[in-house]
Amino acid sequence: MNPVYYLYLAALLFTIGAAGVLVRKNAIIVFMCVELMLNACNLAFVTFSRLHGNLDGQIIAFFTMVVAAAEVVVGLAIIVTFFRSRHSASVDDADLMKL
Amino acid sequence: MNAYAPILVLGGLGAGFAIFSVITASLTGPKRYNRAKLEAYECGIEPTPQPAGGGRFPIKYYLTAMLFIVFDIEIVFLYPWAVSFDALGLFGLVEMLLFVLTVFVAYAYVWRRGGLEWD
Amino acid sequence: MSATAVVHSLLTSAAATPAADRIPTPHIEYAQLSPVLIVLGTATVGVLAEAFLPRRSRYWAQLGITVVGLAAAFAAIIALAADGYATTRAHIAAMGAVAVDGPALFLQGTIVLIALVAAFTFAERRLDPVAHGNRVDSFAAQGSAVPGSPQEMKAVRAGFTTTEVFPLLLFAVGGMMIFPAANDLLTLFVSLEVFSLPLYLLCALARRRRLMSQEAAVKYFLLGAFSSAFLLFGIALLYGYAGTVAYTGTATAPGIAQVIDGSANLTPALANSTGNDALLLIGGAMVIMGLLFKVGAVPFHQWTPDVYQGAPTPVTGFMAAATKVAAFGALLRLLYVVLPGMRWDWRPVMWGVAIVTMVIGAIVAVTQTDVKRLLAYSSIAHAGFLLAGVIAVSPSGVSSVLFYLVAYSFVTLGGFAVVTLVRDAGGEATHLSKWAGLGRRSPLVAAVFAVFLLSFAGIPLTAGFAGKFAVFQAAAQAGAVPLVVIGVIASAIAAFFYIRVIVMMFFSEPQPDGPTVAIPSPLTSSAIAIGVVVTLVLGVAPQYFLDLAGKAGVFVR
Repeated sequence: MNPVYYLYLAALLFTIGAAGVLVRKNAIIVFMCVELMLNACNLAFVTFSRLHGNLDGQIIAFFTMVVAAAEVVVGLAIIVTFFRSRHSASVDDADLMKL
Repeated sequence: MNAYAPILVLGGLGAGFAIFSVITASLTGPKRYNRAKLEAYECGIEPTPQPAGGGRFPIKYYLTAMLFIVFDIEIVFLYPWAVSFDALGLFGLVEMLLFVLTVFVAYAYVWRRGGLEWD
Repeated sequence: MSATAVVHSLLTSAAATPAADRIPTPHIEYAQLSPVLIVLGTATVGVLAEAFLPRRSRYWAQLGITVVGLAAAFAAIIALAADGYATTRAHIAAMGAVAVDGPALFLQGTIVLIALVAAFTFAERRLDPVAHGNRVDSFAAQGSAVPGSPQEMKAVRAGFTTTEVFPLLLFAVGGMMIFPAANDLLTLFVSLEVFSLPLYLLCALARRRRLMSQEAAVKYFLLGAFSSAFLLFGIALLYGYAGTVAYTGTATAPGIAQVIDGSANLTPALANSTGNDALLLIGGAMVIMGLLFKVGAVPFHQWTPDVYQGAPTPVTGFMAAATKVAAFGALLRLLYVVLPGMRWDWRPVMWGVAIVTMVIGAIVAVTQTDVKRLLAYSSIAHAGFLLAGVIAVSPSGVSSVLFYLVAYSFVTLGGFAVVTLVRDAGGEATHLSKWAGLGRRSPLVAAVFAVFLLSFAGIPLTAGFAGKFAVFQAAAQAGAVPLVVIGVIASAIAAFFYIRVIVMMFFSEPQPDGPTVAIPSPLTSSAIAIGVVVTLVLGVAPQYFLDLAGKAGVFVR
């Protein structure tokens, strides 16, 4: 199978994630969309690694996973404190500071 | 193919034992149901009531999930090292020990500050 | 061979590996990486202190650990620079991952000093009124407690403080120190996250106005994660283009720079992908986008005012100063070392970004009514001025940007430290109308703030003027005269609102219910004093520091 299809899939997933960040209201779902974007990057890294026949891409995918996990922890902590003090995780409710 | 035969045999044995135990238990065991037995199994704790209006459950789950994710994923670095630790030699071992040590520092913090206590 | 023997040999083949199969151990120059290692090690010690020391002694222990660690890191940087690593012995350490050269050491030294001053403002506990017999700092008693809940009351009564801010600060500093020195895209990404994640958390920890602080953290986090995802996809595409993530290399083991300028020996698989310019262009654009977000350049600036306003003011000061230093360092290295072969593609884009950043930062600042938002927009405008220096693509461009970063960062730290002093019953009085007549009530504080504002505005004899002059000169020499003209106009607009604040402080009547000026401890006083001294010294006698930046202004390749 042509590996380039995986790149198309990665680009598609990345776009879906980016669109989700822009249109969804719930902070948790926005955050899940960011994670989808990171996973799309991982797919691209692994595919390029296969195309080039070197292992750099696979190693980078490991690092991305760990960074994404750390990001999940920090993000969940922040979003949960936000939710607990307002009983809403909608990004539209984050409106204390406006021009 | 020959190299993988033991794995297949082991898999077959495992599946056979599992099927045998489940069938035997259901045929021979007494059936006395009570409320606790009929409830969904959630790691041995009180099952959470079905969330009303879209999913709220105690904050403790988040904390546990967060800690789990971090310590779980850190281990990903151990895999490549474990696969070729002999080829990496002493340097790899020392670096990995340092890595595990830093993870333990985080663990010590979580443990001392009560992150692992359920109540 | 029997099946068991096969399985056994699978498990024990390790022992039978001949020595030739050994993976060569990487060569790590620990001494040259010592500044970063010291800071990260100190942060780890801080976490341990947080875990094992009793609550009473944590504050002083953390402050001591932080200051000692940062001082040791600074000494290590000076020692490396004295050994010539900034100039003649500059090279790439840790198997190509980290550069040890002039710009890296210069920026690392700047970041460590910023962090030291920021640690002083973090530790300030004389400003808030004593709560239940405990002196308190600017950070929440318990970050996880819901604002206004009984749990929070309990934490405040018990005198809890979030001393974790010191290790968080150090982790952020460690990431920021690697960021401008990163010599491959993976190190760039990881160090970006290492300094971003602690900053997201620090933003959420304000003692007063906690809802706003948490909101700032959510916004910063979501947008920051979004932008770093773009950066990562850009890295993936550049890796796809070049087959490596190293910035530089040799002809046989090429870095991205060699692949772009065609001096690399390409394998057939690679020759296929390097024909695809789309990967290079889109990838490069996405990586630059991620860096411009951290810099706070228009059109990626939307987070800046909200985050600066909501975050605890000492954190805002640190973030505004140190993030900008680190991110401009990384941007410079990327554009000057990796993408110089592409400059006909990126220069027009950066021109546009610089122009809109200067103009929008200056114009929108005029309409602001909150001091912290005002300083936020001013930092956006300054990002634009810095970009003008970046565009020069010349040694004087690098040295002018380095100089500007030093001048800007200490003034910013001092400015935000002054903001923490002006208080009323609700905490800091950040609304500009409350600052009216401040010069009548406390002339010293108002005068100091006026010095900082004049430096922001770029009035001669202040550091801001010397910095602006240097970057505009570099840009003009590189043929970007229209950019300089627009920059000067934007500076004039910006000067208008800085001077408006000064006029308001000194020439309008104080309000009867106006804020009071808290008497700070020597910690904040010294932060402000350092700001004033840097402003005046760099303004009156900039030449020594310009020479220093000039000597440090060569990237190792």
